[in-house]
Amino acid sequence: MAVKKDKVSLGVTIFAFALMTAASVVCLLPFVMMVSASFSTENIIMTKGIGVFPRGFSLRAYEIIMSMPKYMIGAYVVTVALTVSGTLIGLFLIAMTGYSLARPDFRIRNKIAFFFYFTTLFSAGLAPSYIWMVRYLGLKNNYLAVLLPLLMTPWLIILMRNFMKSIPHEITESGKMDGAGDFRIFISLIFPMVKPGLATVGLFLALSYWNDWYNAMLYLPNLDYKPLQYHLYRIVNEAAALKNSLAGANVVLTASLPSTTLKMATAVLATGPIILLYPFIQRFFITGIVVGSVKG
Amino acid sequence: MKRMLKAVALALLVLFATSAAFAAPSAKTAPVTLLLLGNKPTNGRIEAALAEINKLLGPRIGAELKVQYIEWADWQNQYQLALASGDSNIDLVITATDWLFAREIARKGGFYPLTPDLIKANAPKTWAEVSPAHWDLCTENGKIWFIPEDQYSQYTNHGVYWRLDWGKQGGVSTVKNFADLEKYFDAVKKNHPEAFPWDVSGKESSFGQILYGYLQSSIPAQTILGCSTGNHGIFWYNTKDPYTVVSPFMDGKELLDAVQTFDRWAKKGFWREDVLNYQGQTREEMYDGLSGADQHHTQTYVTQTRPQMDKRQPGSELQFYYFGMENKNVNKDLMTHGAMAVNAASKNVPLALKVYELLRNDKQIYMLFNYGIEGVDYVMKSGNVLDRPAGWDVTKQSLDSNFWGGRMDAFEPLNAQHWADKNKLYAELNAFAKEYPLEKFAFNNTKVAAEMAAIGDVCSTYMPAFAYGKTGDPVKAVNDFRAALKKAGYDKVKAEIQAQLTAFKTATKK
Amino acid sequence: MKPLPGTNRGFFKELSHSRTLILMCLPAILFFIVFCYIPMPGAYIAFTDFKYNQGIFGSRFVGFENFRFLIISGKLWQLTRNTILYNVAFIVLGNILQIFVAILLNEVRLKWFKKIAQSVMFLPYFISAVLVGFLSFSILNYDYGFIPNLFKALGAEAPKFYSNPRVWPLIIVLVNLWQTTGYGSIVYFAAIMGIDPTIYEAAEIDGAHAIQRIWYIILPSLKNTVAVLILFSIGGILKGNFGLFYNVVGNGNPILQPTTDIIETFVYRALMNQFNFSSSAAAGLYQSVVGFAIVMTANWIVKRIEPEYALF
Repeated sequence: MAVKKDKVSLGVTIFAFALMTAASVVCLLPFVMMVSASFSTENIIMTKGIGVFPRGFSLRAYEIIMSMPKYMIGAYVVTVALTVSGTLIGLFLIAMTGYSLARPDFRIRNKIAFFFYFTTLFSAGLAPSYIWMVRYLGLKNNYLAVLLPLLMTPWLIILMRNFMKSIPHEITESGKMDGAGDFRIFISLIFPMVKPGLATVGLFLALSYWNDWYNAMLYLPNLDYKPLQYHLYRIVNEAAALKNSLAGANVVLTASLPSTTLKMATAVLATGPIILLYPFIQRFFITGIVVGSVKG
Repeated sequence: MKRMLKAVALALLVLFATSAAFAAPSAKTAPVTLLLLGNKPTNGRIEAALAEINKLLGPRIGAELKVQYIEWADWQNQYQLALASGDSNIDLVITATDWLFAREIARKGGFYPLTPDLIKANAPKTWAEVSPAHWDLCTENGKIWFIPEDQYSQYTNHGVYWRLDWGKQGGVSTVKNFADLEKYFDAVKKNHPEAFPWDVSGKESSFGQILYGYLQSSIPAQTILGCSTGNHGIFWYNTKDPYTVVSPFMDGKELLDAVQTFDRWAKKGFWREDVLNYQGQTREEMYDGLSGADQHHTQTYVTQTRPQMDKRQPGSELQFYYFGMENKNVNKDLMTHGAMAVNAASKNVPLALKVYELLRNDKQIYMLFNYGIEGVDYVMKSGNVLDRPAGWDVTKQSLDSNFWGGRMDAFEPLNAQHWADKNKLYAELNAFAKEYPLEKFAFNNTKVAAEMAAIGDVCSTYMPAFAYGKTGDPVKAVNDFRAALKKAGYDKVKAEIQAQLTAFKTATKK
Repeated sequence: MKPLPGTNRGFFKELSHSRTLILMCLPAILFFIVFCYIPMPGAYIAFTDFKYNQGIFGSRFVGFENFRFLIISGKLWQLTRNTILYNVAFIVLGNILQIFVAILLNEVRLKWFKKIAQSVMFLPYFISAVLVGFLSFSILNYDYGFIPNLFKALGAEAPKFYSNPRVWPLIIVLVNLWQTTGYGSIVYFAAIMGIDPTIYEAAEIDGAHAIQRIWYIILPSLKNTVAVLILFSIGGILKGNFGLFYNVVGNGNPILQPTTDIIETFVYRALMNQFNFSSSAAAGLYQSVVGFAIVMTANWIVKRIEPEYALF
């Protein structure tokens, strides 16, 4: 690689630099605008539009949210609780299943895997699922309606199985020699060895809980404390929701409410944790995507 | 290993248990949940009132009243879904034959079929005060499907509110038709650059009331209730001959007039460019002087918008142009514009009726539920006048129980907070408003359900664009719309409605 | 006692032998039964006149009446066309762009730059569809949106995106690419990294320049990955992109529907806005069946050509 570069290669490198820089800017820009807008002055935004840098500077949107943080905090508590419990339970079940499906001596493993996979090929559709969830399982306005359906997906099970496959079967064999049962082998031998897999699958699960708005929209319309992204959805899309979320706040709730910057600030608060954690967790996702794309 | 399993099992158990605990009824009283429409107040006033009510309900009938709100943001969806999903936690349901599609829902099996005996046993006063003719309006296939709010007078005919002060600045001192309204909007556009002539959120009025208003003001016809397609009622009756189906949406030049008018208004910038995606507190904007108009009905005008505007924009003298003013085409409220039904999935039907009986006929409970706690939420002044305590602010302390299914004129105090001249407006309307002639007509849609769904779909695509001038070429848009209606089976549906209406006429005349 | 893989055994022996493993799969099996398989027979609702109080199987059977609605409303063709065209655009353009980005990223030799660029481009994948919708509204809306205000600032007439259905296919495809390119390029990038470095060295000695290297070494080596990924994404057609369409287009703006309505948004609207369970289910069933047919056909073709790449 140390060879002196020819002109074409140099050109390609420069081109690559320029284009990748531009692409990065495009990917980042909306986030920058969102943060800038949340610190802007409402009036200037309404006349000049949002920009890359804050227009005027105002902390009013955050002040208003902080003066009546009940619903924001409630949304955080609900979302964190759902994310933590859903991720832990889901991860354990997926790991257990993934291990079984990776065992070469488990002869019906492919049949079971197909049983899972088939659900991505054919689904009942929204209306029957909705009736089933609400009328028969009674999950309307129950946080379980978000917790349960997101526990596992066929793709995550297969991803976990691929991780499990990288552990030599000899480990299992040696456990058997020692007289351990399958579950004991899984817990004490396999579990500690598959940490990267657990981290990756766990983060995918956590992300899907954190970002869920769809299940919440379908099943949790009447709860006071909504999951964060659904809270954001309502603030952004429903005029009354913004006002209601601030009722009791010590501000005058009129149209002079800086509604655009308030929406921006809510968006920043709802997304902030993901973006802050992002640099530390993204490598697990990258591993996951690469491992998961290996055909199983 | 078992410990792990146990831990997971335990975690699941705790989750189930906690969620069950929230739903679990207390041992002594059975909960009765009332489904209301409105934004759930977050100020705790409704809870305070309910606590007082339940102190009375518990010992008397062993019930605990709860309320569940369907929020305005997506009421059209959530209201029907709550009933469709067979949620057994809901017992009583506010309904209406016109704007909440009570007859359609009854036919779809959303309501519990009531019988005279059931009502007599559990709500005897209610049974007695509703006349047989009014019970008949609520009866279909031998069952009573809802209880009418027939002891309460109000007007809920729609129109546009406009500011007299801003009108006068542009030489407009009366608005009696859409041409006047346009002049008014022109004046606002010219003199008040800080405001939109009419800042309207297209999503919340996506069924385009203004379009219906234009047609109602142009021709002597009104919507036939109970044969709506989706959220739209395109089949109308001729007010001179109510047994003939007409439709300004298919015939005549009025629809094109309307579409051209709104197209022109859009181009003049009377509302926002992104009206159909705009989500804003448009009524609040009018209160703040950022919008020159708002669109709703008489009742809202006398109880809310006029008093609020007098307070917030002194001298604005908000006026009300109601649709049909120029051609005297206004209907009185139906007996079933407000009603109460029992959810088909309710497990507490008799108890629910008992609760309703008290909400409607016990003055103490009635006042608690509609106005809150005396001394805190309201004060009574001499002459049976209700007023609010000093410092009370409707935007913050409002109770919002929105009980629109059994209010009683007999219990209603005079209200110091309402517009003082409301009776003048009522008298004006009383002079010419007509009774809706087809209240008992119950259309059976089984033969044309697919066509009606298809028409509903066509309507929901075109109507908002019509109402807010987003069609492009109006002539082409109207032609496309009519062609799409034809294709969706318009003629078949119209013939079916006409046939049933003719049969209804024969049956009524007997 | 210890069985060897592949030893012949009876079915029940197999069950009893692997009972622990089966038990370990049981929660997942139950999960898919409860949340995926049990609702499936409920698709029968598409053939009924659904009454709230009679349930799915108590309601009157009406045959294909609900499907007739799809046809006479003129929706079927529009929905099918939009759904398929958008998916094709997402898959084809998506993969081309992902390969392009992966190759360019590989050409940048600075490690830190590569890392940062990859991270930044991956970021949009992490946010919810709600935020994607809100960000696009902030950029596109006429009143205070970023792009219209650029035009206004330059004295030009600002574009009215939300009144013009024709620009929406472009907007939606761009938003989709914005959100998924970083994510999708990772696999291609990994595949490029996996190429044996001695091949590069040999090429370098032969005097090949960058474009030749890309054309003759990198692109051919990505063939397998492309095949697998495209088949994967075809399998995902059914999952659709409801969140993207629902949030970016906005639920209340019907004038954009001719170019933005896909089967999934229609299914949602028929259920939630028109409370028409039966016709919603009919459209949903139609989507399931069409999606199923597409996946099966694609898989069958791949199996004929290169059995190794087939999904199953």
